[in-house]
Amino acid sequence: MTALPEFLKGNEALAYGALRAGLTAFYGYPITPSSEIPETLAAKVGRPEFPRFRVFLQAASELEAINLAIGTAATGARTMTATSGPGFSLKQEGISYAAAMELPLLIVNVNRAGPGLGNLGPEQSDYFQATRGGGHGGYRTIVLAPDSVPEMARLPALAFSLAFRYRTPVIVLTDAFLGQLKEDLPVPDVAPEEWDTSWAATGARGPVRHVLSSLHLELADQNRHSRHLAAKYAEIARTEQRSEDVATDDADVVLVAFGICARLARAAVGSMRARGLRVGLLRPITLAPFPRDRIDDLVLSGVRRFLVLELNHGQMVDDVALAAAGRAEVRGLTEVGGLLPTSAAIGAAVEAMAVSPTPLVAAEEVDA
Amino acid sequence: MVATVSDALPRAHVSVDAERCKGCDLCVVVCAPRNLRLRPEFNRAGYHPVEFRYQGDRGECTACGLCYWVCPDFAITSVDRRVP
Amino acid sequence: MSAAVGYATKWGALPTLTGAPTHYCAGCEHGTLTRLLASAIEARQARERAVLVSSVGCSVLAHEYLNVDAVQAPHGRAPAVMAGIKRARPDLLVFGVQGDGDAVSIGLLELVNAANRGEPISIFLVNNAIYGMTGGQMAPTTPAGMVTTTTPNGRDVATTGRPFDATRLLLGLDGPAYLRRVFLPVAPTGSADVFNARGALDGEAAIRHAFEVQERGGFSFVEFVSTCWVNWKVSILESKRYAARVLAPLFPPGLYRDRFGVEAR
Repeated sequence: MTALPEFLKGNEALAYGALRAGLTAFYGYPITPSSEIPETLAAKVGRPEFPRFRVFLQAASELEAINLAIGTAATGARTMTATSGPGFSLKQEGISYAAAMELPLLIVNVNRAGPGLGNLGPEQSDYFQATRGGGHGGYRTIVLAPDSVPEMARLPALAFSLAFRYRTPVIVLTDAFLGQLKEDLPVPDVAPEEWDTSWAATGARGPVRHVLSSLHLELADQNRHSRHLAAKYAEIARTEQRSEDVATDDADVVLVAFGICARLARAAVGSMRARGLRVGLLRPITLAPFPRDRIDDLVLSGVRRFLVLELNHGQMVDDVALAAAGRAEVRGLTEVGGLLPTSAAIGAAVEAMAVSPTPLVAAEEVDA
Repeated sequence: MVATVSDALPRAHVSVDAERCKGCDLCVVVCAPRNLRLRPEFNRAGYHPVEFRYQGDRGECTACGLCYWVCPDFAITSVDRRVP
Repeated sequence: MSAAVGYATKWGALPTLTGAPTHYCAGCEHGTLTRLLASAIEARQARERAVLVSSVGCSVLAHEYLNVDAVQAPHGRAPAVMAGIKRARPDLLVFGVQGDGDAVSIGLLELVNAANRGEPISIFLVNNAIYGMTGGQMAPTTPAGMVTTTTPNGRDVATTGRPFDATRLLLGLDGPAYLRRVFLPVAPTGSADVFNARGALDGEAAIRHAFEVQERGGFSFVEFVSTCWVNWKVSILESKRYAARVLAPLFPPGLYRDRFGVEAR
């Protein structure tokens, strides 16, 4: 393989990461701030350094893109589509079908700001839509959140690995800032993994045929299928939580942040530690399954204060609070509209929390 | 189906799976010699299934197969022609 | 030589049919089309490379009856799913059955763009001029004046548009290589109680040609003018007469494009 360029935008890095992971087909509809992904890939079809990448198609719509990807995924080939919020909404129909038909598929959402057309700044306001199964019918997806350009390049391989292991759509939720951010990119040269695709619809052999359908007209059949999906999601929740800890060992306040906010939080941890405040960072890498076990560990090890930093009106804070289950104080610091919280605002919020009375639950535990 | 039969038997035979038949009449109306008809009895699904009868009142079955081709329920299971 | 006489099967069981009883109403062309598809697949010895895309509507269960690999598409999206399969695996024979609501209303974008790109897939449209599975609502192809559950006074073309001619729409594009329209129902003849079965025979040929066009790299589309007596609220045979009287002039059968000349040979 040829070495990758060494200084790339996040979106470009993600495209290269997908190629490195054995991408066969990309389908997308242009939307800012994700368009560098199709633009990067369009020039790579047929290039000898990426022999598996055979199909690039600019679709006529977001709906067409996700359904082209569904078709390719049904053959067992690796496929991806990329979009931003308005397009992510349109793709929800297809994601629901892909989840129901258990198709491995990678969907990238470079989150922009606001409901409706909003603007082109960064937000994390699609968190709920991504982590709760944004379409109809009660399914879940795996959601990965990179926080650097190198991680934008690394996560597609993990995404495909999880998508094929569990036969489920996987979402990479990133944001306008990370998509456009340029960084050095040391990417290890790894060969694509191989997975079982014996379930794929590629022509029937003798009595064996494969029907990939989301329709289960018999109530008992749908009941069985829904329970099967739920069991799969439970297994994923049990075994696939991923996160990164920064200086949480002795922390009085643990920041919880993903994506671009994790970078802000990482910097804040450094500067506040320098001022003697014991602050740490928990960075979820899987937003779904949410790393609730890690929150639980931190609570059991004595952490009583979590400050959730996110670019929305407060979404991930709910997951932190659910995991803390009343055993710790959970506050949120949010910013919206494409703006980022200032380091002063983060510092003030941490200080306010650090000097606040010890949460009631913790106080009782201390007395006991 | 190969069996020794007499020359007196018809030139062709149409087999019907009465339980698949929904009695839609399509095979009946495309058969000009009227070699098919709906039975007065019901099948298990409650339809009057079609049956093949040897004595057409307008002519004999020629194994043209139109009944087979129009049947939406694959209830005409085979059309056999007398050999030699 | 013995004078023994026996019988030999001229038309019999098709291994490409599963044998499952269909959910289609009695006399429905969806069932007829299913057998034609099975026959054409066998004629091309294509079962091992065939992938069916079933759409939403009465065609949604086609994979229960056709004994081939299959993928079910969201409502209207079948052409995109077909194209996604075909682009990943050009060696496969990819085809789909769509209804008029699926292909011409909710999925028109997918149909038109797949056609315009000349995707080498085969789409079989069952145009019965009404929404069957949802219970008889107006379709884009509903004739003027037809009473449906959402046009209780008959379709008013002044407010709901004229019946949508998908084949002629696609004819306006350069992409499709093969466009044919077949009148599939049994059709009335000069004799009051005799109908002809030409549609089924034409239909099987059209499917074989469509597959050949696909395997020569072209987009093929066959529209099957069909009936829906249950939702038209007439008898089975009256639905065939109505189709011949009203739908056939509205959607004239014929070969609209044959770029590779597959029918000439």
